[in-house]
Amino acid sequence: MIINGVTIDPTFAEAFPMKGTRIIITAHNAKWAMISAQAFTGFATSVIACGCEAGIERELDPSETPDGRHGVAVLIFAMGGKGLAKQVETRAGQCVLTSPTSALFSGIDGEIEMALGQNLRFFGDGFQISKMIDGKRYWRIPVMDGEFLTQEKTGVVSSVGGGNFLVLAESQAQALAACEAAIEQMRKIPNVIMPFPGGVVRSGSKVGSKYKALNASTNDAFCPTLKGQTNSDLSPEVESVMEIVIDGLSKEDIDKAMRVGIQAVCDLGAENGIRRISAGNYGGKLGPFHFHLQEIMA
Amino acid sequence: MSALTFTLKTAPALVQRIDCSALTSDALAEKSLKDIAEIELQTGNTTVRADSVFDISGDDVNNIVFVNSSDKLDFVGHSMTTGKITVEGNVGAYTGIFMDGGNIEVNGDTGIYTACEMKSGQIKINGNTGDFVGGARPGRKNGMTGGTVIITGNSGDRTGDHMRRGMILIEGNAGDYCAARMVSGTIAVLGDTGAHLAYAMKRGTVLLTQTPSRGISANFNDCGSHTLAFLPLLFASFAKLDSKFAQVESFSRVQRYAGDLAGIGMGEILVKI
Repeated sequence: MIINGVTIDPTFAEAFPMKGTRIIITAHNAKWAMISAQAFTGFATSVIACGCEAGIERELDPSETPDGRHGVAVLIFAMGGKGLAKQVETRAGQCVLTSPTSALFSGIDGEIEMALGQNLRFFGDGFQISKMIDGKRYWRIPVMDGEFLTQEKTGVVSSVGGGNFLVLAESQAQALAACEAAIEQMRKIPNVIMPFPGGVVRSGSKVGSKYKALNASTNDAFCPTLKGQTNSDLSPEVESVMEIVIDGLSKEDIDKAMRVGIQAVCDLGAENGIRRISAGNYGGKLGPFHFHLQEIMA
Repeated sequence: MSALTFTLKTAPALVQRIDCSALTSDALAEKSLKDIAEIELQTGNTTVRADSVFDISGDDVNNIVFVNSSDKLDFVGHSMTTGKITVEGNVGAYTGIFMDGGNIEVNGDTGIYTACEMKSGQIKINGNTGDFVGGARPGRKNGMTGGTVIITGNSGDRTGDHMRRGMILIEGNAGDYCAARMVSGTIAVLGDTGAHLAYAMKRGTVLLTQTPSRGISANFNDCGSHTLAFLPLLFASFAKLDSKFAQVESFSRVQRYAGDLAGIGMGEILVKI
């Protein structure tokens, strides 16, 4: 398949089941809601070392938030419910509770619930106040700028992590420009995040390493400087490869995000140095979710 | 289907109070009109057939109506978990006691212990209530533990006595000792409150839209004026109610008083500023 001079490889991205939740952070204004959300989603690019993958889904108008203030919707994913609960609690405690004027709410219902502010209440040292409103429990925790309001629980939903595609370009600048264009379009799709810095990862990995201590290492087949040293997957004109990783609440959400992202890259086309779109997989043996590039773009 | 209607007979006039706890959607499910007519209702130290007291018509046990009601009808909606009961006229004591779901609407006044130890559901009284709304039975420690009570008129004394959770919304005035011994939950009053507001209150919130004419007890300390983030959520939850509270303009600026400091002092009276 070729779109606007860009070859779509007959391959697929391989993704994994994860547990995820959406939280809503509100604050006095959009600036402080974003600051808190950025802190919450910091160091959350990959479960390999961060314990979770998190990102900002979108900004919310006051009309969309529970307390009528400016807010930010955040998605966070982990490999299991326990890990997710731990990450949510520590991040909420250190990054949202501490953030001026913030409040914290669940942004999703799930069959299973986990603690959101349930244990943060103990920071109130006995002065915390519980409020049941519309069947949901909230905690009012006295803090130095007033009160920190947090919902007690948030829903946990089965999600998908690790959808991806690779952008192969003639130069680093062209690969980056294409990825930026893709991310701009993908951020319009609900229920997904691209957890890496700016949504783009330049150090895609393969499973395993020559070093026993590591279970992942550089994806040498797509490293342009190794074209003559390893079993490269790159043609001579490809000088830079960048990857976009997508986590979402469902396979369909990731499908949509990949489609608009790849389309944005292809719109730039061969004339802007984009040669191929490929994807990362492990032979289809590890992850149950397969995103076939040509099917998505058909 | 038409509403199952119990029309209180005017003659002979009621001498004793009547226990109506058997006349709920739960208790009448699967019963025919004949079965319902044969139900024995406790009155004084004896029982009477339901059809000797009420003219009974209709067939929808999930929609029960008491017509020509009297303040001698007690325990209406006892332990109900589903359905709707509408009362045309006044009703007696213990309306909605142990209620765990469903809906009661009284177009008249209720007696004492309305919503006593209620767990869930909604009771709306388009009139006034007696004492101990949402309270605990004498000797019991926990009153209402959930649900919503709306009173369009005035409530009696000791509203929310020992209340543990849930919400009591009073569009008129509250009597003396409102929120006394309250353990938790929310009581909101659009009118005035009587003497000894929140006496021995442990936790919970009393929300007032005006400064009480009898003042705030010396056992409550002024914590200053604040913008509280939970109040917009609370007002948003009022929006779906058939009540004046749905029309109250949301506010979050309040004067906060904490008490009763003669006890654990974790309760609060919030007065709109």
